[in-house]
Amino acid sequence: MTDDAIVRVRGLTTVLNGKTIFDSLDLDIPRGKVTAIMGPSGTGKTTLLKHITGQMRGDAGSIEVDGQNVPALSREKLFELRERIGYLFQNSALLTDFDVFENVAFPLRQHTKLPEELVRNIVLNKLQAVGLRGAAKLMPTELSGGMARRVALARAIVFDPALILYDEPFVGLDPIALNQVLLLIRTLNETLGITSVLVAHELAAVQKVADHVYLIANGKVVAQGAPDTLANDGSPWTAQFFGGQPDGPVPFQYPAGDYATALGFPGGKA
Amino acid sequence: MTQRRSYAVGTGLFIVLGFAALAYLATQTTSVANSRQGSSYPVETRFANVGQLKVRAPVKIAGVRVGSVQAIDLVPGKEEAKVTLSIDDNHKDIPDDSVATIYTSGLLGDQYVGIQFGRSKNPVKEGGELGLTRPAQQLEEMLGKFFGGGSAPDHLGGTFHVTGNFTNIGGLQVGAAVKMAGVPIGSVDSIVIKPGSSEATVTLAIDKRYSQIPDDSAAAVFTSGLIGSQYVALQPGGSPEYLQEGDELVLTQSAMQLEDLIGKFLVNGSPSNNKNGGASGDAKPDNAGKK
Amino acid sequence: MTTRDDNVVIRSLTQIGACGLFLLTVLAAIPRSMRHGRETLRQIWFVGAMSLTIVMTCGLFVGMVLGLQLYDVLSIFGGTSATGTVVAIAIYRELGPVVTALLFAGRAGTSITAEIGLMRATDQLDAMEMMAVDPVAYVAAPRFLAGVIALPLLGVVFCAMGVFGGHLVGVTWLGIDNGTFWSNMTAAVDVHKDIINGVLLKSFAFGIVVSLIAVFQGYTTPPTSEGVAYATTRTVVASSIAILALDFVLTSFLI
Repeated sequence: MTDDAIVRVRGLTTVLNGKTIFDSLDLDIPRGKVTAIMGPSGTGKTTLLKHITGQMRGDAGSIEVDGQNVPALSREKLFELRERIGYLFQNSALLTDFDVFENVAFPLRQHTKLPEELVRNIVLNKLQAVGLRGAAKLMPTELSGGMARRVALARAIVFDPALILYDEPFVGLDPIALNQVLLLIRTLNETLGITSVLVAHELAAVQKVADHVYLIANGKVVAQGAPDTLANDGSPWTAQFFGGQPDGPVPFQYPAGDYATALGFPGGKA
Repeated sequence: MTQRRSYAVGTGLFIVLGFAALAYLATQTTSVANSRQGSSYPVETRFANVGQLKVRAPVKIAGVRVGSVQAIDLVPGKEEAKVTLSIDDNHKDIPDDSVATIYTSGLLGDQYVGIQFGRSKNPVKEGGELGLTRPAQQLEEMLGKFFGGGSAPDHLGGTFHVTGNFTNIGGLQVGAAVKMAGVPIGSVDSIVIKPGSSEATVTLAIDKRYSQIPDDSAAAVFTSGLIGSQYVALQPGGSPEYLQEGDELVLTQSAMQLEDLIGKFLVNGSPSNNKNGGASGDAKPDNAGKK
Repeated sequence: MTTRDDNVVIRSLTQIGACGLFLLTVLAAIPRSMRHGRETLRQIWFVGAMSLTIVMTCGLFVGMVLGLQLYDVLSIFGGTSATGTVVAIAIYRELGPVVTALLFAGRAGTSITAEIGLMRATDQLDAMEMMAVDPVAYVAAPRFLAGVIALPLLGVVFCAMGVFGGHLVGVTWLGIDNGTFWSNMTAAVDVHKDIINGVLLKSFAFGIVVSLIAVFQGYTTPPTSEGVAYATTRTVVASSIAILALDFVLTSFLI
């Protein structure tokens, strides 16, 4: 599809506790673009991100990130790779022991021996970029959800990564904070050329920011394309997902045996 | 950064406190303290028996600690223990005829060496020897002595036999020692109950060397120590006639129970008269040992 | 019923096995965690220095109550002069290390478990993974090390306070002679047997066990709030059992 893909997933198959999460999934993340991965809850969108970062390994298939096959990497190589990947957690995952400044400085302090002045400049620069330079001395507990997410974003970009993975970046944000995050994703993508992958449900938000959308269901990509056209491509999946219908290819009923039999009626079909 | 420094300071304080407490425990509450008392000089002593005396046990004069036991060895080729005492330099004035004794501090305490001053004008020299010693007394022996007993029976030559009747012989067995003033003079030859009598007749075999025992002497069954074996103690009377072969000891004192013994010992050391079997001789334990 | 019992047995075995493997992981991470020396220091402050108050208070009262009880019992035998000796030996050999370890499990162990569990529940551990920081080396190993270092120090402090408490009751209140109290104690207490093999060795062993259990429970907490609460409880229960069982084993070897 795209020649210049920073992430290339081929034939990924993962079975967790007997449940097939991915069934020979193929997927490309184009470099320098904002790609959204959407899908019904429980289809393993977050799990896919964890596969890309090597936190989880599939049962089969390959995941190439920047030319390296992640499942085959040693722990050291994986750590090297991760320094070039930013990851924004759904609940921000700020370290509760440290204030905002130290949270952003944490990766620098762990991986470099930069002079204190340089650390300060980099951290303040990143905090300025997310608009929270004034909050540098606050503790994570004093931050609102939106602020915490922006701090986490500042921390994720402190090494100027090539790729940022956003796990549900819009959940639980008020409209103002949501638009601030949207703006940041777009700005970071445009000014720094950072490839962004975001996992989200909010179609409106995704349409504002994404260049490309994958719709995943049942362990496969069921639809993909530009966000504006995807919603109307005629597939029953997109029709249900973007139309928000309660029943369809994604059934209302969780798979179960026959109802009448379960209730004990003798007439129920087997 | 100041936050971090305060952690470091606090942690440092904590670690220092911990080590200070360790140093305190190790030096102030243990026997290490005993070996760190400035300069001292050695004095040798020899004991027939050191009992439970241990290295680093205190050495005391009039109850005041003046040093510690440095080493305990066996004298080569002899059944004798050489105990080297390490006496503090500021106690240089111990007469050379002083007596070293191994004491026990209380019933439960450890043993220590006590020094009683002699009359000599010459102080004992560095590396010198205190010739007069009294060995460790086992608790059993102490109690035994206290109540008139001694140690195991001697080897015997010829014997003569006397009998005595006891209402209760406790755990006395054939072969048990017969002692006078704590010295073994014979052994129990037989214990029987005569037909028609409720009393035990004990026959004592006494060494012929001890032929001058007054015939009004009292016989008593004692226990040597808390768990020791029982023996028969003879307490001499005042009669000019001596015991002969086949005589009977009229005055007897039956075996006492362990509980009584300990009770007497702990209360004030003078036992109440707990005579059975018509004994009139008063068992005065504090004299019995010395007579 | 049998299957349930089997499950308990198998679950316990699984836990013990996982705990053992986790110990290896932590030990292997210790050289790497040396880069986070400050973190270890900070944890010694949290688990050690912050437990000082409770350890010192309890040490004092344990010493006092021992002094009182022993005086009462020993006076039957006329042996009250041995009060100091028995207080010291009882505290050095058993009560000091054991009670300190139990207090440590309750005070520091639970807080380690809760802290790590919360870090797990709020994705902080995963975030470290993602920032290419090994959470075993950064979170688990420093806390483990801090516990192993702090517990013997706390044990020693407990003992010192215990002896002080025994002295307070025995000498100041009940009138045992001061010199008798100390000299009997110094004569009977042995540095090697009572302090090195007693307080220090036992505390060190308990430190390893309690810290390992606390860190392990936190690290393997299910990432929910009930999970954290449950893990905290389990830390106390498992540590207490482990401390007392290990104490028996150690004592039988050392005595």
